[in-house]
Amino acid sequence: MDGLLFDILVAVGMGFAGAIAFSLIGLISGTDETTTIAPVTLLVVLLGVPPVGVFTFWLAAAVAKHMTHAVPTALLGIPGDTMAVPLLQQATALRNLGVPHIALRKMISGGLIAAVIAVPLSVAFALLLAPFGQMITVAAPWLFLGAALLIAYFSAGKWASVFTLLPFVLLVVALQTITAKYGVKLGVSYFLGIAIGPLVADLFSSLSPMERARMHRDGPRRFTLAPDMKSWGGFFPNPFKVLDRTQVLWTTGAAAITSATFVFSPVAMTVIMGEVVGARIKHAYHRLTTVISVRNGVTESTYIAEALIPLIAFGLPLSPVAAGPAAPLFNAPPRFMVDGPGGQIVNLHTLMTPMQFLGYGLLAVFIAALIAYPFAMNYARVAAAFVSRRISHEAIIATFVGLVMVIGTWEGQALGLMVIVTMGLVGGLLYRILGFNTGVQFMGYYTAVLTVPALTKLFIG
Amino acid sequence: MQGASTPFQAPPKGPPSHVKSPNVHLAEVWGDVVDRRHLAAAVVIGAVVSLGTFLIAARIFAATVAVPDVGRAYAMLVGLLGCVLSGVICAKLFPPKREVVESASDPAWRLAAMQQLAGETGTIGRIEDLPPQVIAEMKELGLYELFASYDAEQNRPQATVTGA
Repeated sequence: MDGLLFDILVAVGMGFAGAIAFSLIGLISGTDETTTIAPVTLLVVLLGVPPVGVFTFWLAAAVAKHMTHAVPTALLGIPGDTMAVPLLQQATALRNLGVPHIALRKMISGGLIAAVIAVPLSVAFALLLAPFGQMITVAAPWLFLGAALLIAYFSAGKWASVFTLLPFVLLVVALQTITAKYGVKLGVSYFLGIAIGPLVADLFSSLSPMERARMHRDGPRRFTLAPDMKSWGGFFPNPFKVLDRTQVLWTTGAAAITSATFVFSPVAMTVIMGEVVGARIKHAYHRLTTVISVRNGVTESTYIAEALIPLIAFGLPLSPVAAGPAAPLFNAPPRFMVDGPGGQIVNLHTLMTPMQFLGYGLLAVFIAALIAYPFAMNYARVAAAFVSRRISHEAIIATFVGLVMVIGTWEGQALGLMVIVTMGLVGGLLYRILGFNTGVQFMGYYTAVLTVPALTKLFIG
Repeated sequence: MQGASTPFQAPPKGPPSHVKSPNVHLAEVWGDVVDRRHLAAAVVIGAVVSLGTFLIAARIFAATVAVPDVGRAYAMLVGLLGCVLSGVICAKLFPPKREVVESASDPAWRLAAMQQLAGETGTIGRIEDLPPQVIAEMKELGLYELFASYDAEQNRPQATVTGA
């Protein structure tokens, strides 16, 4: 019993840490989930936090960030992160109508309801799929190849991304071979390099006279900060009152359906469900508010499902979210591995039971709701104003440059740093020029680690 | 990242040479505008402060913690605090290159928004179709009148077309 009590205490503590940190990070527009949640979770894993603490931290962080990313999206008209891009059209229309606070409230209420639904449903779907787990694990090297090709084709780059996989995988293999020569085996550095790629590519570009003209801006970026109005008493508004009946029903339904779809991109699901619901609502105002509630709900539910289903059922990162922001839950060498001795999997899949996933998952959502929901509801405007007036982009970049230096040096001294910069520059440029996005790059990394050894075995023996 | 700007955010192309000097170093990096010189300093500060903190911490923990891996993990945690510290230093040194305008809603935008909404499906829909809870919400926001009058104006000449 003491063990359980200890686990719960650790989980609660880590949940609060994740929710508080990422409620704040969510306010900073343009901070991608993969670049922020993945490295910090990695850190939590490597520090040796118990498995339930790692899981609660990750989920509370993701849910909290999804709530506060609504703040810049609704009030400043800039997407809080990539997941918020499909919400921008409705958010902008509502802002122009002079009611951005409505956009904000509908979004986060939809998100909260969807998160509560998605956790138990994802666990249920995972249990349905779990009997096939053994088969999946054996076939993993080939599945990753298939998934990499599929995710590549559905990225912005289409066929370009598919063909780019080959040189990209080769680059990873080549870098591994070089570092192995010096007795260094890197894992985290590749992840961080891929995740931080767009920043590395932009930093290099800003030094190049050829790119300077493209990046030059004539003046500071202009934001119009919309006013906010509070229309309820107390601190914790009831999400079921913020949304009307139609909105609650559609959000619930869309969240339930999308909790089962774990292989598609969350952004695509968000767009599709929004269209489906929007086509059924005649009045323009009601359509705007309903679509925005449903869409933010779907960003939350697909996100949770994409992480939880592969984690619980297979222990292999077989979805864009699992390969991206949730990657450290699957693979964080030397502690978590998908390619351990003899193809063994050691990660949260093997260290936690489905019931633990359910219990701590709900705990994480509860903690995130407790922190991020009232915070975004009550202090959205103050927070948005503070971030846009006081935190310069230079400061954010400095922090991430620091992160690269520390993690790279920690894992592999100078070699680690060089690998991060190489992966970041190549990956970031491929993303920008070809649309070979971060998710595809992560799959490319897994292909290099899992499929390439299997292929060599097949041909060379 | 593209798609991050809304129609009315275009930077003012405006006043010529006398304000040009502070702006020649501006560039968009990683989704927001920075001053190139500040950026260079921020990168150096980020690297030096974070790595310095980490290396010093690694020295200390290597000497005091028995298990080397644990010592290195602690050093990394301290290094992360170093990252945050470098962020705080840069936030103090370099002001944001953003112009934040506080504004209440603009009637012209409202009209533009209404026209855009009507353009999407050909109609903004009929106010009579709405559930009472939504009507109450719109009244509270002061949008009911706007939609009702727009509806009345648009539907009068072609009231028979909106069947579907």
